[in-house]
Amino acid sequence: MHPFVLMFMIFGLPAVIALAWVFTRGGDALRRYIVTRVALTLPMVVILVSVVFVVLRVMPGDVVSSTLGPKATDIARETIMEELGLDRPLIVQYGTFLRDVFTLDLGNSFVGARRPIIDELGERLPATLELIIPAALFALITGIYLGTRAAVRRKRPSDYGLRMYSVIVYSMPIFWLGLLLRLVFSVWLDWTPIAGRIDVVTNTTLERTTNLLVVDSILTANWSALGSALHHMVLPALTLGLVLSGVFLRLTRINVIETLQEDYVVAARARGIRKRAVTYSYALKNAMIPVVTVIGLQVAILLAGAVLTETVFNWPGMGRYLVQRISSRDFQAVQSTVAVFALFVALISLAVDVVYSVLDPRVKY
Amino acid sequence: MAHDRPRIDIPDWERELERVGFARRLLRARKWYGADWWFVAISSLMVVGFLLLAAFPQVFAKYDPLDLVGPRLLAPGERPNQEVLILREDSEFESIADFEPDVRTRVAVVIDTPSSEAARDAADVATEERAAAGLEGRIRLEILRIETLDEALDSLLNGEAVAVVASSSAFGEVDAGYPDLVIAGPVSTLEQDATSFPLGTNQVGQDVLSRLIWGARIAILIGFSAAILSFVIGIPLGLIAGFAGGKLDRILTLIMDSIYAFPGLILAIAITAVLGPSILNIIAAIGVLYIPTYYRVVRGQTLSAKQELYVEAARSLGARPRAILGRYIFPNVIPSVAVIFSVNVADAILTGAGLSFLGLGLPLDIPDWGIDLARGQEFIRSAWWLITFPGLAVMLVVLAFTMMGEGLVEIFNPKLRRK
Repeated sequence: MHPFVLMFMIFGLPAVIALAWVFTRGGDALRRYIVTRVALTLPMVVILVSVVFVVLRVMPGDVVSSTLGPKATDIARETIMEELGLDRPLIVQYGTFLRDVFTLDLGNSFVGARRPIIDELGERLPATLELIIPAALFALITGIYLGTRAAVRRKRPSDYGLRMYSVIVYSMPIFWLGLLLRLVFSVWLDWTPIAGRIDVVTNTTLERTTNLLVVDSILTANWSALGSALHHMVLPALTLGLVLSGVFLRLTRINVIETLQEDYVVAARARGIRKRAVTYSYALKNAMIPVVTVIGLQVAILLAGAVLTETVFNWPGMGRYLVQRISSRDFQAVQSTVAVFALFVALISLAVDVVYSVLDPRVKY
Repeated sequence: MAHDRPRIDIPDWERELERVGFARRLLRARKWYGADWWFVAISSLMVVGFLLLAAFPQVFAKYDPLDLVGPRLLAPGERPNQEVLILREDSEFESIADFEPDVRTRVAVVIDTPSSEAARDAADVATEERAAAGLEGRIRLEILRIETLDEALDSLLNGEAVAVVASSSAFGEVDAGYPDLVIAGPVSTLEQDATSFPLGTNQVGQDVLSRLIWGARIAILIGFSAAILSFVIGIPLGLIAGFAGGKLDRILTLIMDSIYAFPGLILAIAITAVLGPSILNIIAAIGVLYIPTYYRVVRGQTLSAKQELYVEAARSLGARPRAILGRYIFPNVIPSVAVIFSVNVADAILTGAGLSFLGLGLPLDIPDWGIDLARGQEFIRSAWWLITFPGLAVMLVVLAFTMMGEGLVEIFNPKLRRK
């Protein structure tokens, strides 16, 4: 089975079922919203893919000479131009590119065994998911918890401390944080493995089906592989999660402060409901609404961070693939990877908006 | 910014503020804004500091960032291993320059060490100095190549050689066994002591601190130019889209939202991969990324300012759209743009460092923090300082600009201002 099909069954199917559920249960306004939102995803994807096209094909800069080097012969140039379809008019190239991206027929890579790019990406996508999902969970939990605390203790030392924390982790270059954690925990303390996804020896015992190592090892009840995979995951996920937790802390803090000043919160306090209860069940719930909208935008930070984190930890995901293919000047692979990232972003922001519409009854188009 | 709510209860301190001058107002604000004032004050000082470093790196940096000035991989504060002149305690000389001219003085060195070269260089320098002082004659050496340091030192003790040139660390190990011998001083006249390389040297022997100082120039250059580029394009687009509305607004907003949602670094990676490495390309790539940030804010502000009565009044008086935009709407946008600009510079520096860390965007002969980090990570096991300090520098610059933005948000945001 193709890795992407598998990925879809794991992540896409529940999403589609959830969407269908919301759609059938929700009122007319919600239904209309969801239809519009799904319909708007298409132009968004087209625009993102077009931006990629403009950047890679239309902007100055010569893909062919970067592929072949400056001393290429004319025949070599023409062969490669023909192979990439660069000899055709720009508008035709654009059409072909759009078609290729939507049918996920991305051509073959220029490097090594020249396998289909989609297969190479399919192998690496699970690694990226296994990095960003734990990171996002870590960031959400710590960010929202600490953000609420900071808001409740506004203008007290712990608020300033937490704000400093959020500013500092936000200002840290993520690759530097990764290197520092590696230096301390892998080199000095020798607690964590220095790089990679799984122990080389354990790897040979693991039967891979989804390429999500955690899922695979649980499915085959291979506990030593599970341990090794989790052990390797700690530092990269922590690196990515720490940086994002600062962002969520700031967002939560600002929104909780604003909702704590709302009349209904003050009224609840006046009725004698305890401060804790008011904060967590009145204010936090409503403060979460704007936070959820921005989560969609944080996906961008998450993916950009993943590229750098994967490079630091030799994590064989899509980001590292992108960087490697740039240095081996395989532009077919580069443009496909960027386009797949674009698809990814569009789908996640769709999912976030649908969740948001369910949470916030005021949303409509 | 608080134009939409009636100002009934202006606190006393705000009235007081209206009466004093700008500089004094800034100082007095300390009382009311508390820690936020300090955020802005401290970070502004840091920003000024980095701007100074970027403007005059040659004043602050001891060495040229590209010169190989010291030994390789010298830890911070570690004494550089240098070639020293070892003499008998009762020797009549103090340095190579004191040797008798035109006589071949016998100097012992250990085979396969840089000592003989250092000795010859020192002799040449001494000869040149004599010539400059108007003295005749050359300092000449007869180099005795000896297998081990112990044998070389013995030859000095039994009078075969007049002096030994050896590395300070090698002699340091056997020092106690030779009470009659002393280190007369470094062979080379180049001054190198423990304070020469406060942050150590890198794998080719460049001074880490000097490279950091010169790297500030690239970071600031990229941060400001990229932010100004997106500012110059994003603000007019936002003003026009918000003011004109209609189809133009919808299309522009859709495009801008798409770019905004896309991971900026990945787009920048793609752009620089095609354009090739140069500072201008990196600035263009990062500048494009942040256009939507300005666009969105400015458009939103324009939309709300458009509804205001004073804009209506201006329009009914016959003011041209251009005048309305420039004189009535634009000033409303400035405070929020100032906040974004500060954070934007920080983001641009971070993205620039990320690009050069990945080996994209900058030619390798430019002293840059990202490049230093990327090269340093190979030495993570042997040289912790190579990955620590460049990252710290990036963090401090970004921190300064972010903190300034953060403090400004608290101060400008009327919703958060009063309890």
